[in-house]
Amino acid sequence: MLITAGIDIGSGRTKALLLGEDGQILGSAAIRTRANFDAVAREALEQALASARLSMDDIAYTAATGLGRYSITFRDVQVTDITCAARGAQFLFPDTLYVLDMGAQSTRAIRLKEGGKVRDFHTNEKCAAGSGSFLERAAKYLEISVDSLGSRSMESSTPRPISSVCAVLAESEIINHVSEGVPVNDVVRGLHESLAERALTQLKKIGLNGSVTFVGGVAVQQGMVEACRRKFGVEVLVPKDPVAVTALGAAVLARQRATRRMAGAGTSSRS
Amino acid sequence: MGARTNSPHRRRIEVPLTAMAIAHPPILSRCREVLAGGPTEAARRWKGPAIGCFPVYSPVEIFHAAGALPIGIFGAGGSVELTHADARFQSFVCSIAKSTLELAFQKRLEGIGGMVFHSICDVARNLASVYRRNFPDLFIDYIHFPQNPTSSGSLDYTSAELERVRRNISVWLERKITDDALRESIRAYNRSRALMRRLYQMREESPERVNSVEAYQLVRAGTLLPPQEHVELLEAALADLERRAVKRMDRIRVIVEGAFCEQPPMGLIEVIERAGCYVIDDDFVAGWRWFANDVAETGDPIRALAGAYCRQSRPSSVRHDMTRPRHEDLAKRVREKNAQAVIFAPAKFCEPALFDYVLFRRVCEREKIPHLLLEFEEKMWTFERARNEIETFAESLLFE
Repeated sequence: MLITAGIDIGSGRTKALLLGEDGQILGSAAIRTRANFDAVAREALEQALASARLSMDDIAYTAATGLGRYSITFRDVQVTDITCAARGAQFLFPDTLYVLDMGAQSTRAIRLKEGGKVRDFHTNEKCAAGSGSFLERAAKYLEISVDSLGSRSMESSTPRPISSVCAVLAESEIINHVSEGVPVNDVVRGLHESLAERALTQLKKIGLNGSVTFVGGVAVQQGMVEACRRKFGVEVLVPKDPVAVTALGAAVLARQRATRRMAGAGTSSRS
Repeated sequence: MGARTNSPHRRRIEVPLTAMAIAHPPILSRCREVLAGGPTEAARRWKGPAIGCFPVYSPVEIFHAAGALPIGIFGAGGSVELTHADARFQSFVCSIAKSTLELAFQKRLEGIGGMVFHSICDVARNLASVYRRNFPDLFIDYIHFPQNPTSSGSLDYTSAELERVRRNISVWLERKITDDALRESIRAYNRSRALMRRLYQMREESPERVNSVEAYQLVRAGTLLPPQEHVELLEAALADLERRAVKRMDRIRVIVEGAFCEQPPMGLIEVIERAGCYVIDDDFVAGWRWFANDVAETGDPIRALAGAYCRQSRPSSVRHDMTRPRHEDLAKRVREKNAQAVIFAPAKFCEPALFDYVLFRRVCEREKIPHLLLEFEEKMWTFERARNEIETFAESLLFE
């Protein structure tokens, strides 16, 4: 069986996913990213292999993506996270044309062509205010766990908006809200509304006109998903495991290359 | 002062060598030392007269036979701030011309007693004149190579021109350049060029074994070393690289064309590979790899050099050979080397390269060869945009 691996080294977590020949997900793992990207990639992959009861020798092809993709020495190819997120989303929702990928450090709005190729994208990489790490810092200031953000947001009906587009100034705003006695849940929902608003601006830049597939670590927060649904005014699709979608896209692309390699076409060999 | 572009410390950080990710042979460390020393260190080590050779091609054998060390002067590579040259050249002139002039103004050509230019473009022509006017103590020569090297009179003309250069060098150094000495120099440079051809052949066949930054450094070192030392360096490096076992990645095989005069920052060369390409051929430092095969080592050496220029030169944007159109040669190389794409990498404002880009693009479109234009300048220090462009280009070829 042709098994391919996708590894996504993000700034927060490193994800590994194994894909079978007929497209079934055989195993996956997600661990916290550390400074040694090559080692952390191996560790994530070994965990994914263990969950699938497979070994390194079973992998026909490995595609690396994410900010640490160049550091994975055992990769066959590296692919941009934009392309991988698009392919992963399209693999799960074949009709999707708009993808919102919200990770720890960056948020990307991606427009696809039919078939999953990237047509356009917009990224906010210069500032973390619209991404997961901002939520992590906010949780720290609010003295609550990151995992509770999604449910707390859902419990609020009177969001307290966060107007600043700068992470540092937004933090000051949060502290002000807390000192004024605003309920924490309302602040959390305000954060989600604020992030959804910024994401909508990015989606509009790529010509949003249809349902959005929401992927990345932030998409696990139900409150954030609901905020997006309210703001976007279109259907928002969320995969079962939104964290692994970019790694899934890498594995899908790896499968494509492995198949071509086996057919003897499009390789870097000198024939 | 522009802090961003002037920070050599910053630039050093920006150019982490791919080779460092692989266990690289000690000989490559020696190679990097030579490059770090630059022209002045090369001249100091030689202990004799040294002559600067502005790209693209110089008849280095004549200088070497006179006891001088030919040293390639490829601008300053972004290491100097232009404080004099900008006042003497227009803003639309390429970086290499300005920084080459700046090197002399800032007295950073110590030990180099002369400079040789040749007819590659209007800028190079004027640079020779500007040098002559501003630095009267330097020996300056300007070589007129034939516009049409395939005409019936080109061999006689080129021989006469190279003979004139020999006379001028003899007068300058007060030293007779014998035919025997010339033949000896031709042999030495033939050996160096043959090893460079072998290096390129190795990279074409096993691009994972020798990355393009290493290949570039090994070739560029030859512009600062006497040919005998360059031969030793190449022989040792090739032996080490033959033994290297590195996983071959799934990348597209590309030919990089257009950087024959001003040289791209090494960070850019590295980025091309890291972004998903194997560079299997290029025209970096083209003048020092000018001939497709050995120059004749017997007979009249001046005529041998002239004949090689007229008959054995590789196609180049600065040598017009209507019997072998450069763009058709590019298409032929793509086919023969099993390349999947071409990256045009001309320096900003390089007229010969940009004029040819039109022809190159036309032949690529005719032959359905994917291609990408990637302009550079020597002071380029951040490569994020280039990386994005190349990576997107590579992905468009790798994935359906």
